[in-house]
Amino acid sequence: MSESIVRLENVGVAFNAQLRVGSPRFWALEDVSLSLARGDRLGVVGRNGCGKSTLLRTIAGIITPDRGRLTRAPVSCQLLSLTLGFVPHLSGRDNAVLSGLMLGLRRREIVSRLPAILDFSELGEFFDQPISSYSTGMLMRLGFSVAIQVDPDVLLIDEVLAVGDAEFQEKSGAALRARIAGGSTVVFVSHGDAQIRQICDRALWLEHGRSMLDGPVDEVLAAYHAAQQASAAATAGA
Amino acid sequence: MRLHLIELILFSTYAELRAERARSYLGLLWWIVEPAMNMATYYLVFAVIFKTGAPDYVPFLLIGLTLWQWFKSCISHGGYSIWQQLPLIRQVKLPLQVFPSVQILADTVKFLCILVLLLVILWCSGYPPNITYLALLPVLLIELVFVAAATYIVAAVVPLVPDLRFVIEQVLQVVMFLSGIVFSLDGLPPTLRRWFALNPIVELVDAGRGILMHAQWPDWYALGRVTLISLVLYALGVFLIERLTPRYVKLPT
Repeated sequence: MSESIVRLENVGVAFNAQLRVGSPRFWALEDVSLSLARGDRLGVVGRNGCGKSTLLRTIAGIITPDRGRLTRAPVSCQLLSLTLGFVPHLSGRDNAVLSGLMLGLRRREIVSRLPAILDFSELGEFFDQPISSYSTGMLMRLGFSVAIQVDPDVLLIDEVLAVGDAEFQEKSGAALRARIAGGSTVVFVSHGDAQIRQICDRALWLEHGRSMLDGPVDEVLAAYHAAQQASAAATAGA
Repeated sequence: MRLHLIELILFSTYAELRAERARSYLGLLWWIVEPAMNMATYYLVFAVIFKTGAPDYVPFLLIGLTLWQWFKSCISHGGYSIWQQLPLIRQVKLPLQVFPSVQILADTVKFLCILVLLLVILWCSGYPPNITYLALLPVLLIELVFVAAATYIVAAVVPLVPDLRFVIEQVLQVVMFLSGIVFSLDGLPPTLRRWFALNPIVELVDAGRGILMHAQWPDWYALGRVTLISLVLYALGVFLIERLTPRYVKLPT
């Protein structure tokens, strides 16, 4: 087994529920342990509200744990988010630069990739128009084209695998799969079993902010679905 | 890493100014027109209606307001910047000084435009350039440090206590009157005046007026004290932002 680059030991994360003095905190993550090695492709499953997004943001270093231990080798993590930091009145080109800088690229890197972004986003002359004139689909295309330029050590994906119309979905999905197949370390949160099976070589099941099972994809998915059916049956029986 | 952040701040400032221009019909003209209207209001009320002050009152007021508005606009824009960027902060890991710094830089660019206009007005009304203009650069740099310090501190606290937004404008209004922007503080008893001089704005505006109106070198000792206060507050601001950063992402959406 190779050395872990991100390791969580009994990690808990609490949020403030309201802006009130003395308002209780709620624990989005209660007790999560996992270890991520270089080249791992981990799928995270669980019901809505089980803490999957919080987990991704904790791995990304955006959220610091309130208890437990998080150790991270000096690696770059990117939470794949589209239209990051976009400003409505600026052109697509300026927004691409701005977003690229926020994602950690140097200006000359992002400028040298502008032709690729223009090409991939298929925006044509709209690229130099303010993005306030874009449709949602165009925004997503621009956002994805910028986000895919970053080559992080660890790529964190929250549901979005493909964006835009059918044709662009095909293209963006393919680009991302190529990136993943290229040996990136990936953490992928999804409700789709098929996608997890296709992409991941390991899975983690989260329940109420706790890591329940971590292992081979089929095993974890089977256990997760069994538990879901059992709780559905219990609800129906009650 | 550092260079990357400087690039991010500079480009974001450009984006901010550019977007601001696009948000109104008159665009850049508002950089000048808005402060000019503000100055005209004070001039009308205090010089024309109440007939306040000495014959030098108009340059006295214009210099004070120019330096004050720089401070005030940085706080009103930069002070809310982290709070306004919370959705972004939940998405990406960035050093949060970036956000107030961008606003400070954007407002400083606007301030420099107004400063040029102020100088032209002064030259045309009988206050020509003089050798003490050399001291203008250090005075402005010290004010920049103080402005940044105050903005960082406000920016650090507002996300945790958004209620402050309702208080800040009022406090700024009071501080303006206490800083001798509109009224001269010379009429105060000396003991009280000494307390007022702890306020960096008072010394900085005094220095600015001395240079621009009376060809007078600043009181370097007083400026040294202001520099010290500003640097301490600046360090406090940076410390607060860094210290509180983990808490911002955990605030309710």
